[in-house]
Amino acid sequence: MPTLDMEVTVNGRDVKRRATTQMRLLDFLRNELNLTGTKEGCGAGECGTCSVFVDGKLVKSCLMPAAKANGAEIETVEGLAKRGELTYLQRAFHKTGASQCGYCIPGMVMAATGALRENPHAGFDEIKERLGGNICRCTGYSKIFEAVELARDAMNGSLPTTALEGPGAGDSFIGNNVRRLDAPSKVTGALKYAGDMVMPGMLHMQVLRSPVAYALIKSIDISEAEAMPGVECVITADDVPGEDGFGVFVHDQPIMARGRVRYVGEAVAAVAAEDVETAMAALGKIKVEYENLPAVFDPEVAMAPGAPVLHDYAPGNIVKHIPIRKGDVEEGFAEADLVVEEDYGTQAVEHAYLEPEAGLAYVDPDGVVTVVSPSQNITHHRHMLAKIIDQPINKVRFIMSPVGGGFGGKEDMIYQGMLALAAMKSGQPVRLVFTREESIVSTAKRHPARITYKMGLKNDGRITAVEFRMVADGGAYGLSTEGVMRKAAILSCGPYDIANVKIDTYGVYTNNTPSGAFRTFGAMQAQFATESHLDICAGKLGLDPFEIRRINMMRSGALTHTKQKLGSVSLGLALDAAEKASNWESGPADVRGSSRSDLGKAGNREPCTLGSRIRASDGAGGKKDVA
Amino acid sequence: MSSKCRGRGMAASWYGIARTATIDRAGAWAEIDDGGTAKIVTGVTEIGEGILTVLAQIAAEELGVRPEDVTIGDNDTARSPEAAHAGATRQTYMIGNSVALACRDARVRLDSEIADHWGVDAGSLKAFNGEIWAEKTNLKMTMEEAVDICKKRGVVPVGSGSFTAHGTGLDPEDGSGSPWQAYVYGCQVAEVEVDTVTGEVQVLGIWAAHDVGRAINPRGVEGQIEGGVVQGLGQALMEDYKLEDGHTTTHGFAKYILPTSLDVPQINSILIEDPDPLSPLGAKGIGEPSLVPTAPAIMNAIYDAIGVRITSLPATPEKILAGLVAKRERQGTRRHAAE
Ligand code: FES
Ligand code: FES
Repeated sequence: MPTLDMEVTVNGRDVKRRATTQMRLLDFLRNELNLTGTKEGCGAGECGTCSVFVDGKLVKSCLMPAAKANGAEIETVEGLAKRGELTYLQRAFHKTGASQCGYCIPGMVMAATGALRENPHAGFDEIKERLGGNICRCTGYSKIFEAVELARDAMNGSLPTTALEGPGAGDSFIGNNVRRLDAPSKVTGALKYAGDMVMPGMLHMQVLRSPVAYALIKSIDISEAEAMPGVECVITADDVPGEDGFGVFVHDQPIMARGRVRYVGEAVAAVAAEDVETAMAALGKIKVEYENLPAVFDPEVAMAPGAPVLHDYAPGNIVKHIPIRKGDVEEGFAEADLVVEEDYGTQAVEHAYLEPEAGLAYVDPDGVVTVVSPSQNITHHRHMLAKIIDQPINKVRFIMSPVGGGFGGKEDMIYQGMLALAAMKSGQPVRLVFTREESIVSTAKRHPARITYKMGLKNDGRITAVEFRMVADGGAYGLSTEGVMRKAAILSCGPYDIANVKIDTYGVYTNNTPSGAFRTFGAMQAQFATESHLDICAGKLGLDPFEIRRINMMRSGALTHTKQKLGSVSLGLALDAAEKASNWESGPADVRGSSRSDLGKAGNREPCTLGSRIRASDGAGGKKDVA
Repeated sequence: MSSKCRGRGMAASWYGIARTATIDRAGAWAEIDDGGTAKIVTGVTEIGEGILTVLAQIAAEELGVRPEDVTIGDNDTARSPEAAHAGATRQTYMIGNSVALACRDARVRLDSEIADHWGVDAGSLKAFNGEIWAEKTNLKMTMEEAVDICKKRGVVPVGSGSFTAHGTGLDPEDGSGSPWQAYVYGCQVAEVEVDTVTGEVQVLGIWAAHDVGRAINPRGVEGQIEGGVVQGLGQALMEDYKLEDGHTTTHGFAKYILPTSLDVPQINSILIEDPDPLSPLGAKGIGEPSLVPTAPAIMNAIYDAIGVRITSLPATPEKILAGLVAKRERQGTRRHAAE
């Protein structure tokens, strides 16, 4: 590999190192200098987690070849403050709770630092615009904006620096805005996520993934890959010693495809080698012979007779059907003055946590197979892996590394099994870090759902009956589908007291990317339909949206759709609070946007207009040369 | 007429706390440590929601130390008690309560030694912010001294706690059952501006009122609401993982569009505290519930603004424009019919 001698100044210190010519500045910082505060969220210039200053200019280090930075002065998040200290901005992030998972935070701190260096008096809109190239999936940005404004004011002296300090003890630590204890490690980039961790003798894993949606695997030939210098081991389903299967409810997914692939991106084999490049090259030497099978991509089609069957145990391709029955819907509809029917659809959604999947596995001196990863459920993963590798439970150890965003997407044991097998086979620690693309194609999504809704109401707004049917695309494997269907069904018709309901949710296998747990576990899809439907009905009955909900809401002691007797129900409080805080002007739900008088008041932001909000600095400190 | 139409919509929601339709459980260990510090060991790690800080606050409150004096052990199946998964809006409820119970257990050990040392009733002891005292007396010392005395008397003040949430399974025929012991409710109002020329929707304001039982860290709760709202907004307006015959066409952030700083509305959070009567802390949860009403509130607001009902997410500019065309056609036909 061609190399070059790098001479750079990094965080004020002169550094000489050899780099390869294809190395990105990001790799140089992370791998050669161990400056892992600079993160790789996408590798494509789209997320900003890799932001650093090169000769004073904010750049995305994943886009810059290391060679191009030769001779430059580089500043990373680790260099913003002296060790043990925090900059004003970092303190402000700490104060406002601007860091959640923290994975975007070093990049955010860099971008915000850049913004205030460019214009120490930047206004709210300018701050927003300058942070526009940095994605945060956790915070909703609000506390980040607050932090930047706070830091700006403290730096300018318009606020005392005490404004950056935490609250006192008061008379209780409950109900107290205690500053996040993990924030300093996040705003400085000190916190190590799994992909930042290294061990002596560590191997690097790469995964061969299915290029086809549904096929028989006729053969896998790993001999050439295995023989490559630098390759320590190649693993396939044949290396699984125990009962191969994982999933949050049904254990229908093998660690790597076994006999059949069921979706594009499914793991087929994996290589552990001394470096990522060798592992990647070895993937190209693995020969897999596929025989395509007729695939199915639509859940309604998959449910119909004659559809291809994806899993032998489920001949109708139904992962789970949850029925709920209460009262008699036919009677309820007969009683109704108005019956409204509508169909709803929701799309597949990617979790897009900024930290792509990563893990590190090793076998400890006592033979305990250990996996370090941002798993959201190490308890269950331990049980499943013990079965898969045929070991007693106390010979399997899972350590949960800081999770750079999960939202349900890291509940699935999608790669930890491969790491464990490779560590067992090679006898060395093995690390795997997903690329963003790999994360998107191979991991679970929010279930896309189609919902048919039928609601009967009296003229006074009382709901007499609801019939609710949801068909959700579970994709190729079960993962959390069963639980998602259950939660969707239970919560489907919303917090409303309805005497007659007929609810059915179906999770269905298809050859699409699997669906799984995602923040709200099916409740979002179901209640999107209910809450839209209620407004349609309110419009037809000339009712205000709050009114129709108050008429029907569950009150303390109500029976739910599953006939559970509730204790205290706070829905009325929530309705009152939202109505009051928003100064809602009541009126029928019937396109009254042009006539209502409660619009454009306090509590809104300004609409964005075209054109830059970035203004030349007008303050002391001046504009830095950024060329 | 201006091409910018504003409107408002609202949506309500409910959610169950902790695992669904099953018994949920979590365990924790506590030790009041030298120097008046504390160790908490439980199977949990931060996934970003702020749980470590919440647990440190709970431990500090229960033990009488300060949050920054609390060390929380790493989540490790070989080293810490089972707290199970980081999801289902169960962290504060399940693990928070198990930590509270573990701390109370440790305090029983410490308090009985200190009460004996002072010759007072253990029930009269109170501790907060690094100090312990006997009520209605002048007896007071630091937690550091208290731990020292306790240990010199031969006792290490340790405790353990296990918290259970009693859900029941659903009947396979009619679905009846009691899936959760704690429910939360919420309501959000959205104000939007729709550009009828481009079809673009901007969400300008969200008012989000959510019952959380008891807010351990109000700012943290707001953070969860803000994050949930913006994820809900992403699903409402732009995010769409697309497949063509099983192959994704949205394999990077250039194609899979996420909300950025320029897309977010002003988010006005209103916290409601209706304490849970079945748990020591009274806190419930907010992680997932905050996302539920956002998309329907936005769709209802779009309808209010322009009379277009989007029933299939996301409400992209193309769908908005198609909806406007269809609406004009409908109105045209109606006019014709009337003539
Ligand atoms: S922008 Fe460089 S990693 Fe995303
Ligand atoms: S805190 Fe920004 S991505 Fe998690």
